[in-house]
Amino acid sequence: MNVLRVENLSKSFGNQKIIDNLNLSVPEGSVFGFIGQNGAGKTTTMKMVLGLLQPDNGEIYVCNEPVSFGQTKTNQFIGYLPDVPEFYNYMTSMQYLRLCGEVIGVSKAEIEQRGDELLTLVGLNGVSKKIGGFSRGMKQRLGIAQALLTQPKLLICDEPTSALDPVGRKEILDILRKISKTTTVLFSTHILSDVERICDRVAFLNGGKIAICGTLAEIKALHGHDSLLLEFSANSELQMFRKQEAIKPFLPDSEENNREIILHSRDIKKVQHVLFRVFTETGLCPAKMEIMEPSLESLFLEVIK
Amino acid sequence: MSGYIAFVKKEFTENMKNYRFLIMFAVFLIFGITSAFLAKFTPEILSALAADMEMSPEPVALDAWKQFYKNISGVGFSAFIILYGSCLSGEYSKGTLVLMVTKGLSRKAVILAKYTIAAILMTISYWVSYAATYGYTAFLWQDASLPNVALAALALWIAGFLYLSILMIGCVIFRQTFTSILFTGGIVAVISLLGIIEPIAKFSPFILTTKNIDLISGEITLSDFMIPAVVSIVISILGLLLAIRLFNKKQL
Repeated sequence: MNVLRVENLSKSFGNQKIIDNLNLSVPEGSVFGFIGQNGAGKTTTMKMVLGLLQPDNGEIYVCNEPVSFGQTKTNQFIGYLPDVPEFYNYMTSMQYLRLCGEVIGVSKAEIEQRGDELLTLVGLNGVSKKIGGFSRGMKQRLGIAQALLTQPKLLICDEPTSALDPVGRKEILDILRKISKTTTVLFSTHILSDVERICDRVAFLNGGKIAICGTLAEIKALHGHDSLLLEFSANSELQMFRKQEAIKPFLPDSEENNREIILHSRDIKKVQHVLFRVFTETGLCPAKMEIMEPSLESLFLEVIK
Repeated sequence: MSGYIAFVKKEFTENMKNYRFLIMFAVFLIFGITSAFLAKFTPEILSALAADMEMSPEPVALDAWKQFYKNISGVGFSAFIILYGSCLSGEYSKGTLVLMVTKGLSRKAVILAKYTIAAILMTISYWVSYAATYGYTAFLWQDASLPNVALAALALWIAGFLYLSILMIGCVIFRQTFTSILFTGGIVAVISLLGIIEPIAKFSPFILTTKNIDLISGEITLSDFMIPAVVSIVISILGLLLAIRLFNKKQL
């Protein structure tokens, strides 16, 4: 089942078309990376899913129920973490969660119990400081706790790691990975290493449309060419390697750097066969040989070109 | 409903923690206490400072109420509007409401909760100020007995709700505190201008804020206040409903 389905969504601000006929499905149980440049429309899309912005066109369904602008019932299925979550500064985290619990209409005992569990999960249990004195990372963690208080089917995080230091980022990603067992996570970002770390599905947003969408493996297989890195222990060996007849067809597509050479090809197996034959014939022995995965970064650059 | 109650509690705490209530209460209380004293002793102070100045007639209890209405309807309610002008703009600019609304807090509850708490705190401040003026006036002019004192105060209190409703509309429409306050001031100015135009003058809520003294002194009767009071209450309710309607359509 798809937790979130977006159909033919469009949105303009003034003359500027931000979202242009966007289609997207987020299957249940996935950690979905929603990737795009700054200003690509990630936040706009998310706000429309939450009923905070009115779409010009198109339909959004959360758990098969349509989203309507203004008051939307579908928000009961969603937990939302904005890019820079802001709370009431004069409260402590537990007081804030209590307020949230009362707004949702959960019983007092349940709020206390859930609040306690969530604060433990995000590592804020026992912090008695007022939210006004929190660091960004702490606010982000409290943001996750408040988003999970409703026990949502879908957690929407808007660039949860963008403003954090490496430690804060790792903590947030660890928490997201932990909760992904019970909750579908939609996670917008432009930090690609985060995506590779926790997402199993991704969609690239470009020009208001989804440029590519699929599982991480599918996308990597479809796009970007495979590469193979060879490292020799001396430059002379590399030069000798280059002179081999069998290698010549691959050279125009290669990159060279000191003792390293990177060969690109659509059929990397064929390259490997050739290489092993060359090695046995010449007695050359590389210090290192590695098949390079296409990086999301190269995909990203390819998509936004 | 549970959302409304939760948000009312939050609003109450917030108004205590950010000293909004304290400031408003202090402003109203100071005017309440000083009205009677200023009325009683201003002539004496003046004559002490300038001996040859022509003396105004002996101050009476009515002068204390003149001070009260001048100060509360002017400075007191201005302070109220300025203090509450930021009640939504702060939440817009910080984005704190987004988290509440996405949890299923109805937008109606947000506006109603803010209105409720502002109205309650205004009411407390106002009637405490009234009680102070009443007490000190009774103390300084022990033989004075004025009619309709409470009813005259009731009239201005009713107008307070009208101010609040207009302010709420301003706060919903504009994202900045300053513009919300300016909007409220503008609308109040328009209402007072309409109050000058003869055929509709006697229906105007403007009367509630300007003729209180005439009611105490007996120049006009209570019946002259009835229609303006009803008009004011109706506009206040419509204003609040309009604020909710506009807020429902607001992109957060």
